[in-house]
Order: sequence, then structure tokens, then C-alpha cells
Amino acid sequence: MAIRVLCVDPDEDARTETVERLRGELADMDPTVEAVDGIAGAERALDAGGVDCVVTEYDLPDGTGFELVETVESRAPDAGCVLYTGADLDRIDTSGLAGSITEFVGKGSVFGAERLTDLVRTTVERRAQATYPVPQSEEERVAALRTYDLDDPDLQASLDRVTDLAAAHFDVDIASINIITEHSQEFLACYGATEEWETMDREDSICTFTILEDDVMTVEDVTEDPRFESRADELLELGIHSYMGANLTTDSGLSIGPLCIYDDQPRSFSAADRAYLRDLAAIAMDLVELHSRVAVAESAPGTDPDRGSESGGDRR
Amino acid sequence: MSHTPDERYAFGESLPIAPVDPGSTVFVAGPAMSPAEDLATTMVADGCHGEEGSLFISTNTTCERLLDGCRRTHPDLDASRVGVIDCTGQVSGDRSHEAEVKYISTQSDLTGIGMKFSALYESLYMASGGPVRAGLVTLSSLSMYSDLRTLYQFVQTLSARIDSAGGLGVFAIDPTTHDEQSINTLSQVADGRIDVREADDADGQLRVRGLPDQPDGWQPFTLPR
Repeated sequence: MAIRVLCVDPDEDARTETVERLRGELADMDPTVEAVDGIAGAERALDAGGVDCVVTEYDLPDGTGFELVETVESRAPDAGCVLYTGADLDRIDTSGLAGSITEFVGKGSVFGAERLTDLVRTTVERRAQATYPVPQSEEERVAALRTYDLDDPDLQASLDRVTDLAAAHFDVDIASINIITEHSQEFLACYGATEEWETMDREDSICTFTILEDDVMTVEDVTEDPRFESRADELLELGIHSYMGANLTTDSGLSIGPLCIYDDQPRSFSAADRAYLRDLAAIAMDLVELHSRVAVAESAPGTDPDRGSESGGDRR
Repeated sequence: MSHTPDERYAFGESLPIAPVDPGSTVFVAGPAMSPAEDLATTMVADGCHGEEGSLFISTNTTCERLLDGCRRTHPDLDASRVGVIDCTGQVSGDRSHEAEVKYISTQSDLTGIGMKFSALYESLYMASGGPVRAGLVTLSSLSMYSDLRTLYQFVQTLSARIDSAGGLGVFAIDPTTHDEQSINTLSQVADGRIDVREADDADGQLRVRGLPDQPDGWQPFTLPR
């Protein structure tokens, strides 16, 4: 994995030391370590995208480390934050910050510098400060996702027919097949209003919870479900009051994302409902698999019947 | 130092729990009246036998009562290797103990709890040369003040810190106070779970799941007193 770490420290010598330490000790993670002296610079770096972890001093020329943490939460919600500071912890008022979780490493401590590297490593590897769980096989899952050719218009047209069938069967206005990438939810196929939706952060996605389940996940009422109640207003505005999703699962059991239906009313789902959506999801996965196999076969040398075996690639 | 970083965390003889790998986080689950909270506290205090550090986040028991209890059950406890984050909201002036104590005025301040946990963890890590057992007693109490997503993020951050330092995390949870979705979500941070129930012929029975090389099924246990 290649990671991006942002160091924010107004003291140039301290900043350089931290950057060099992280670069050296995290070399196996292929790190890109950037350094800036304050919030303004950090905002530019965050907007460029891809930051996995922010290591910051508390006292910054244009604000506090916590103000930066809030900025990180809105601009790069999956990134973890580590307050690496010489400031006295007891002077830092945290009472108004319900909700932002940050790691703390004292700069002065004997083990501080060494522990900083360990923590940055774990924070990135475990996505420790995300507000949602990731599957245990997340790395394999994301790798599997990359092996499919999902941008092809023919495949997407076929999958659109599956979402049409799902919407018609369950009599809902919205159905979609969503792919859960490393940090976001992307719409692969959809019926209804989702055509206007854009990519969303994983923390805002219901489906990011579906991929933790073995097959089907139901939410009878988003306002009553502890996982989504804090975001219920936004979901209701999108016409989502209830939800059912069935995973598109690879042969090795990894979910690339679910086929799901959304209702604008609370509703319950029967065993037959679950079974139907599960079947449609299996059909959708078959389409994805077969399409990829055909694409591979067409692009591979040696499959052109006119050229026979001479370009078969077996040169032994 | 009697402990190397790769050594497993062992427990007292009266607990039918085999040693647990460094970096693990374990949930101890039982209803409020069961001995689950006492079991979790004992599993952390048992670190005194190996010169390890013990760090508690205590939501319902003041640091004085917690330390008194630990001294009673673990007479060889070295208070200078103990840290407590007292979240009961009752600040005491009693400094007759050597333990390092930090106070949090409200359990909704997860940011403060997390940062003080980090600071105390570092200082115990230095004092013990590495091995630190961390107890959160109880996770269910914190859930009354924060939404599930925030609480998940909090316990995941604690668990990651414990993992990165090769520590042991023991989090007490009362499954009867959470719905299934909350339990399933929070459980994602745990490597294993110890269920606790009451028993007539012992202090309780426990069953370990998700951890390697553990006894099968329900086992009676006795708490030190």
C-alpha cells in the first residue's frame, strides 16, 4: 500500500525531523510525507486528496490543532489525526469537542517519537478513526474490486436492467448497485433518482455496513436504527426511509458492494423478499464476472483463431 | 523485567482463561447484575503479577473505590503502575494513593477521555517497559452519552492504540442495554468476547469465543477477594 501522511508543525526543525523519521520508519508502506506550517497549508494538501493520516502540533500560527482536526473531518473523513505536541494536555480544553476522536502523543516523552511511527502505522492500517467498520478482508476486497472492468457501458446497461427488475418487484422508486471502494460509494447501475446522486463518502453510505454482512442487510426504518439515526434527516431528504441490500460476492466470498432498494416509507422485509434480492444480486455478480472474463479473453493474445497457436505465449 | 513484548497476557489461577495474545481487545459481556464488570477489572489488575501497567477508564466507580477494590483483590498491586481515568464526575481531593489519576467531568467528552487515555498509556508504557492492560468499565455507560458512530470511532481508536503497543484491551459491555445493530457494530473492534452469566456454585460462569486456544463452553470461575 502507498500512504500519504501530512505533518503540520510551525517549527521547521521539528517538522523536518518528524518527516524524516516517518519516511524512514514507514518505508515499507511506500509513504509520501508532506509538511506544512499551519492550517492554510494543510487545507490545500487535504483538498489535493488521498491523505491517510495527519500529524499535527497543537499551537499553529493560524489556529489550534483541534481546528485542524475539524477541517480534516469535513475534507478527508477517513483520515486519522494524531496530535503530536509538546503542549500540556491539561491546558487543552476538549469538552466542546464531542465527536472528534484524535490520538495524542507527547513530543517530550522518551518513547514519543518511536511511538508516533507505530501509531501512524496502526491508524492507517486499521483505519482507526473511521466512524464505520471495515471488513476484516478489506485489503483483498479492494484488490478484487480492481480486477473487474466496471466502466464498460454494455455491462452497465445489463446491470441497469437488474435494478429495473428490483425496483418493479419491490414497488420502490429507487434501486441501485453500489460499489464500495476504499473510501467511497460509487453507483454502478441505478433505477430512479439515484441517477442524480453523486459519489458519496463511505461514512455517509448505508451500503458500507451491508458489506460486513454475509448476504442481505435490511433497515426497516433509518430513524430507528442506531447506525443511521444520526444521519436520518439527510437520508429522509434523499427519499430513504427503509433499505434492503444484498451483496455481490466474488467466488472467494468478498463483497464488491450490494444491490439495494430504497423505500420512502418504513417497511418490513420477509424471507421471500430477502431471497428474491439475493437471487438478483447473484445474477448481477454473474454478469460482472462473465463480462470480465469475456473482456480478458478478447484482449488476450493467442485467442484469435486465425493466428492459431504461434502467439500462444508458451515459449518453453 | 519479566515480560517480553511477544509474551501473552496471563490471568490468575481461578480464571479459566488461557493467556491472550498481545495487541488483542476482548469484550467482557454480561448484564449489569452479573459479575462481568468485576471480571473485567480483575483481568486488568492481574497485570500486577507480571510487573505490567494497568490502565482503567472507569465510568461508574470513583478512582478511590476502584483502587481500594484492586488493592483488596490484588495485595501485591503496585499503584505506581496503575492509571485511572475517572469519568464519574466526582473529583476527589484524596491523593493518598500513588496511582496516576485523570478526571473527566462528563462522559460525553470522548475526545478528552481518548486523549487522556493516550497520555496515561504512554506513561505506563514507559513505566512497565511495554506491556499495559487497559480496561474500559463500562462501554455501555458511555453509550448513554454518545451516538453509536462516535462511540464506535472511540473504541476503535482505543483498540488501535492497544494493538500498536502490543497491549491488552478489556472492555466491559452489558448486551441487554444495546440493540443488536449496536452490539454487532461495536463488536467489530474486538478480537474475542467473553460472555458472563451468574452461577449458583461459583462467582459466575464464563465462555470465551474468538480467541485461540481457549477452553470450550461455559466454565465456572472465582474472583479473588
